[in-house]
Amino acid sequence: MELRAASEDLGLLERIRRGDTEGAAELFERYAPALLRFTDRMLSDRAAAEEVTQEVFVKVISRAHQYDGRAGVASWLFAIAANACRDRRRRERRASVVPLEAVAEPRARGEGIEASLMSEERRRAVREALAELSEEQREALVLARYHGMPYAEIAQTLGISVGAVKTRIFRAVEALKARFGEGEHSWTAAT
Amino acid sequence: MDCRDVTDLAVERLTGEAGADARAALAEHLAGCERCREEMAALEGVWTRLGTDPDATIRPEFRRQTLALLESEMLRQRVKRFRARPRFASPLLRAAALLLAAATGYFAAKETAIPGKAAPVVAGGARVGSKSVAPAAAAASALPDLQAEPRLSNVSYQPADKNGRVGIGFDITSRHTVVGRPDDPEVAKLLAYIVSTNAETSGEKSRAIELVSEHFSGAATANAPVSPEILAALSNTLRKDANPGVRKKAADALAGFPMTPEIRTVFLDALRSDKNPGVRLVAVDALAAAAKQAPDANTIQSLREKAADPQENGFVRAKAANALKEIAF
Repeated sequence: MELRAASEDLGLLERIRRGDTEGAAELFERYAPALLRFTDRMLSDRAAAEEVTQEVFVKVISRAHQYDGRAGVASWLFAIAANACRDRRRRERRASVVPLEAVAEPRARGEGIEASLMSEERRRAVREALAELSEEQREALVLARYHGMPYAEIAQTLGISVGAVKTRIFRAVEALKARFGEGEHSWTAAT
Repeated sequence: MDCRDVTDLAVERLTGEAGADARAALAEHLAGCERCREEMAALEGVWTRLGTDPDATIRPEFRRQTLALLESEMLRQRVKRFRARPRFASPLLRAAALLLAAATGYFAAKETAIPGKAAPVVAGGARVGSKSVAPAAAAASALPDLQAEPRLSNVSYQPADKNGRVGIGFDITSRHTVVGRPDDPEVAKLLAYIVSTNAETSGEKSRAIELVSEHFSGAATANAPVSPEILAALSNTLRKDANPGVRKKAADALAGFPMTPEIRTVFLDALRSDKNPGVRLVAVDALAAAAKQAPDANTIQSLREKAADPQENGFVRAKAANALKEIAF
């Protein structure tokens, strides 16, 4: 199954190299949801996450011929996204603008106001905790927790060793445990 | 297993990295250690809590905008590929063009030396050899009648020689080749004609725009002011051409000229209504560069509108916002 997906990904890149617009659209449909989830959690800013996700696909079009097959297409896309997020945050730091306020997802149909407020509160608490982590820790943790990437693939995506991935995730989880432990009462009350 | 190893292994279990042996060893240790069970529960709590953060989903508007952006980007890439030429070809082509010019000049001079014989038109086109005597007249004699607005096909270009003369070949009913500097009125007229509407393919039109751009942009502009026909043709192309790659090329060319009220109006129109974000980005850059030198109320207003427009493409919005920061007003 994975092999077939990998071969389909390569086929899409080849179509993009040949200038096939439909190939680019298919790659978008296949990877945009995951990349948006990643950029959204990395930047904690929905509008910025959308812009960076767009940027990733534009870069893929212009760099399709540079893909050398050493990493999987998915890893390559996430690597571009991780770099784009870093650049974005660097630019924002220079401009002294650090948007941590995420745009709330539309409320699910039928969800009551109280439930919605509680889930918004939980979401905000998790986002704030993630934002407190170092960029390196957050990248590794988000890829492992929300994208189910094995350590070896995270290492390939971020260009670091498996040992470094392990350390970053370990430290991130420890930091979150300490942070969530501090607010245990409010968390219990919210749930 | 030691209690000190538990956190490490517990995290690996949560991430799915722990193998069967490690999981079994961990379970065995947890069964007999109350403190480690609490640690494991705390880590599982972190993992579960992270899962309460809902995933961002793709908005239909975001999908629509991005797919449109990707489509235009793909078109732009195609135009780029058209431009690509092997590096070694350029000197060879230049040498060939010079050789051709020298040979045609020699034969033209030889033929005109015969008393009573009419001056020939080389390859249906310009008398290159006469260029040093009457540059504009040479091109003028080469240019066929374009009053009836014939469609030009198989347009080809010879790069500029050391005197800045380019060659433009095309078919109407027969093959014509016009050689001269792009600022010679007749050559400029021909280029404007090709840029306007009358080349068969977008690639031919794109190359004509590049030629105009290379010759008239930047430092060369002071010595070779761009002709009104070319300005009008580029403006018309930016406003009306169906191909976004060609429109962007026209915008790039116009951006290389000194800003005039006419060019500003074209860019403001493009920023307001061009469907292609790549074109709008060029418009933002050009307008912002000019406004930095001489702030203009219409430009500032348009950039403000773009920076605040939630429907606008993210790149364009960000670029407009950054441009405003750099304009003193």
